[in-house]
Formats: sequence, structure tokens, C-alpha cells
Amino acid sequence: MSPEWIELGRGLCYGGAGLAFGLAGAGSAWGIAIAAHQCAGVLREKPELFGRLLVMLALPGTQGFYGFIAAILMMTQTGLIGGSVIKITLGTGLALFFVGLGCGLAQFISAIKQGEASAAGISLIARRPEAAGRAILFPAFVETYAVVALLATVLFIVFLTQPLALGTLGK
Amino acid sequence: MVPKIPNIPQWGFVSGRISVLEARFLPREFFMNMISQERIEDIVPHLQDTFLKDYLAPGAVREDFGALPDRCFYNMALSLRGNCPSTIPVDIFLLQSDYLNLKGALAGATVFPFPISLFTQEMLLAIAHEDYAELPQSLRESTGWTAGDAFQIDSGILDIMLDGSYLRHLLSLANEIESEMVSIYVRERVLAYIVIVLWRAANQGISLKRYQQHLLPLEDFTQVVIELTGINNLETWPAVIGGIIGDLFNESLESYADDQISSFDLKVTNYLTRIARDGRLQTAGPERVFSFLAGLSVEMQNLKLVVTGRLNRIDQDLLKERLKDCYV
Repeated sequence: MSPEWIELGRGLCYGGAGLAFGLAGAGSAWGIAIAAHQCAGVLREKPELFGRLLVMLALPGTQGFYGFIAAILMMTQTGLIGGSVIKITLGTGLALFFVGLGCGLAQFISAIKQGEASAAGISLIARRPEAAGRAILFPAFVETYAVVALLATVLFIVFLTQPLALGTLGK
Repeated sequence: MVPKIPNIPQWGFVSGRISVLEARFLPREFFMNMISQERIEDIVPHLQDTFLKDYLAPGAVREDFGALPDRCFYNMALSLRGNCPSTIPVDIFLLQSDYLNLKGALAGATVFPFPISLFTQEMLLAIAHEDYAELPQSLRESTGWTAGDAFQIDSGILDIMLDGSYLRHLLSLANEIESEMVSIYVRERVLAYIVIVLWRAANQGISLKRYQQHLLPLEDFTQVVIELTGINNLETWPAVIGGIIGDLFNESLESYADDQISSFDLKVTNYLTRIARDGRLQTAGPERVFSFLAGLSVEMQNLKLVVTGRLNRIDQDLLKERLKDCYV
């Protein structure tokens, strides 16, 4: 295999890493903004609810961190950060690119939808503050799928960067 | 209506405020309890649990209670209006007071007792000084309107024209907001308004042909007005009115003659409240603001009915009968 192809594989891998944290970060910012608008309106009338609403407001932010974890893992596993640089074939690079894209999309969409679920929960807390425990469940269910996406991403990155996998995909 | 959550970023803030304010709505039992109080002094403490608590100065209940609920409603509506990306859901509720101010201006008044929202003070003053350049389009569209003659028009006819103009404006606002719930609410309200106006006129022996001349055009309701004004027998009206409003009209005909219109008005208000309740299912959006104001309006009407009714020693059973369905 020529060195040019190896460099293309590396480029695709880091492109995937960029998409993972970029999309996840954008989704989180969007989701928090959705919840924040609702939250600000509630606090205008009932400032004492700030403590209970803070968790609801912060929940859509977790996806940004999940995307960041995925990107960092890609960089450490391929040796870009702290280690010996490994050769990435075109096949592995392509696979890692789509792993990053899939992770980014899952985090992006789940963060926005979690923002909407948080806004609905905030609305419930505003009307019935004693229901705060139940209201947090709505965005928490959305969170499940962001976590599942992160787990799948971690497993893919770890196994795709094993010497055996690199060898097989390179053939 | 399926719950949906669009427009959250734009409508989120005002909807968040409403989520808190909605929790302060009072149930029917609260009003029943107030009605059953024997002494007026026992009613006042109950008002501390209402939206009116900030408006209660010592002696205000006895002296000037009638104005307090209206002032509370308008202040709340104007406060929410400032937080809305589109003012239409609020304007629909403020429009009536604008037209009352306009009526005053057309009669030459320069002091306007009702809150000013859509029609500015400058515009009303100009109209009061016979400058009709800024007259609302809805009034210009009136079939009987001729600019420059406002001061010569018979006050009865001018009232009809203003009613028509108000209803046209209401329909245009509802069309503009593109919300199914608001559109249904406004259209039903307009139809009920037309029926009440014509019914009152028929009871007073006023020629309904005047309404055909000066109330129109009213979009899809033009034909209804033309047909109703051509029928003298009220019992055939439901067939022309149609729909739920027609059914409510039919039910109201079974009441005592003196009570028919108020019975119809009560039934329509309860029906409209049921429509407005759907807005609660949304997290954010114009429907949320609209529904809240519909609920607040009913609550203020109930408060006014109960407190002024008890102050004037009106029979408790009659007050219970006239109580409108609550939003919660």
C-alpha cells in the first residue's frame, strides 16, 4: 500500500473525529438554548425555582462532552496524542469517519430533542414544583440514546484500531 | 389536537412565564365558595389568592371593584405582549378596547378610557380632529362607509359599522397567525358575536336590513348575515348558523325569553373555553399565550360577577347559574 493511501486513511479518521465533536457541540448548544428560553421565562415569575431548573437546563449539554470523548479517543488510539503513530489504511480510515459521523449525528439530534423534552419538563415544574423528580425523567430517557451512541462509538474506535483489525482491513 | 412543541426558542420565554402564571388559575370550587359567603367582609380575604391581589387597596373592593379585573387583565396582556415574538395572540384580546377608543375618537373625544395597544394615541387624536388618513382599513372596507362623514353618521349605524370593522379586523388577525386552534376560536367567536348582535336587534325591533347594509363584508360569514337578516322566525336560525354555535343557539331558545341571549352568551363562552384549553398541551407557541389570555379573561369575568354580585346582594343560586366554566 502506498503512503498516500495511508495518509488519506488518517485524514478520514480525523475528519470523523471533527464531525463527532462538532455536531455534538452544536446540538448541545442548540438544546440548551431551547431549554434556557423556557427556563428564563419561568424564573421571571418564580426565581426560587432556579435550583430545580438548573439540572434540566444542563442535561442537553452532556452530548457535547460525549462527542469530545469520542474525538479524543480517536486521537489517542491512532497515536496523534501521546503515543506512537499507527498506520491507518483507507478502509479503517473510512470506517472511523463514519463512526465519527454517526456519533455526531446521534448526539446532535438527541441534544436538540433533549432540549425540547427539558423545556416540557421545565413547564411542568413551573406549574407543579413538587413534580420535579418526575419531570427530570423526560429528558433522561432521551439521554439514554446519547449514551448508547457513545458506547457504540467507543467500542468501534477501540476495535477498529486493534493491530489485527488494521491488518485485516488493510488487505 | 396533538401536543406539539414547535417555536420553542422564539416563544419559550413567554411560555415559561405562562407555565408559572397558569398555576394561579382558580377552580370552580373557589368561586362557589366565594358565592356561598354570607358576609361581604369574608369575600375580600379570598381575593388575596387571585391575580387581583396586587390591585387590592383598602376600600377598593367596595368602591371600584368593577374596574379592577379589567385593569388586571390589560396589564397582564400588555406585559406578555412585550415578550411575544408576534403580538397577534395578545392583540386579539386587546382589539375590542381599541375599537371602543376608536368609537370615542369618531365621536370627537380626545380622552380615551380604554388601554391603548393597536391604535396609537396620535392616530386616535387625529381621527378625533376629523383627519381620517390613518383610519383602520377594516373600517374603510365597510360597505356603508364614506370618509368625511363620520360625524354625520347616525350613532346607531356607526355602532354597526364599528362592530363589522372589529370583526373583520379580528378575522384578519386570526388568518395572519396561521394557528388552527386560534383560527377556530376566533371564527366561532365572530359567528357568536354576529348572532348576539342580530338577536338583540331583532328583540329590540330594529330592522335587520341595516345590519346587512353596514355590518358587511365579513369573509365567509357574509352569507350567514344576509340569510339571518332575511329571516324573522328565530327558530329557523340554527339551520342557517349551523355547527356547534347553531346547536347552542337552539338550546338557548329553550330558556326563558328574557334569559335567552345571556344563556347563549354563557354557553358560547364555555364552548370557547373548551377550545382554548387545548393550548395547554403545548410547551411553547402562540397558542399557549392565546389560551392563557382566554382563561384569564374568563377568570376575571367570573371574579367580577361573583364580587359585584355579592356586593349587590344578588341571589346566590343565580350567580352560580351565571358562573362561566373555569380554564382549570
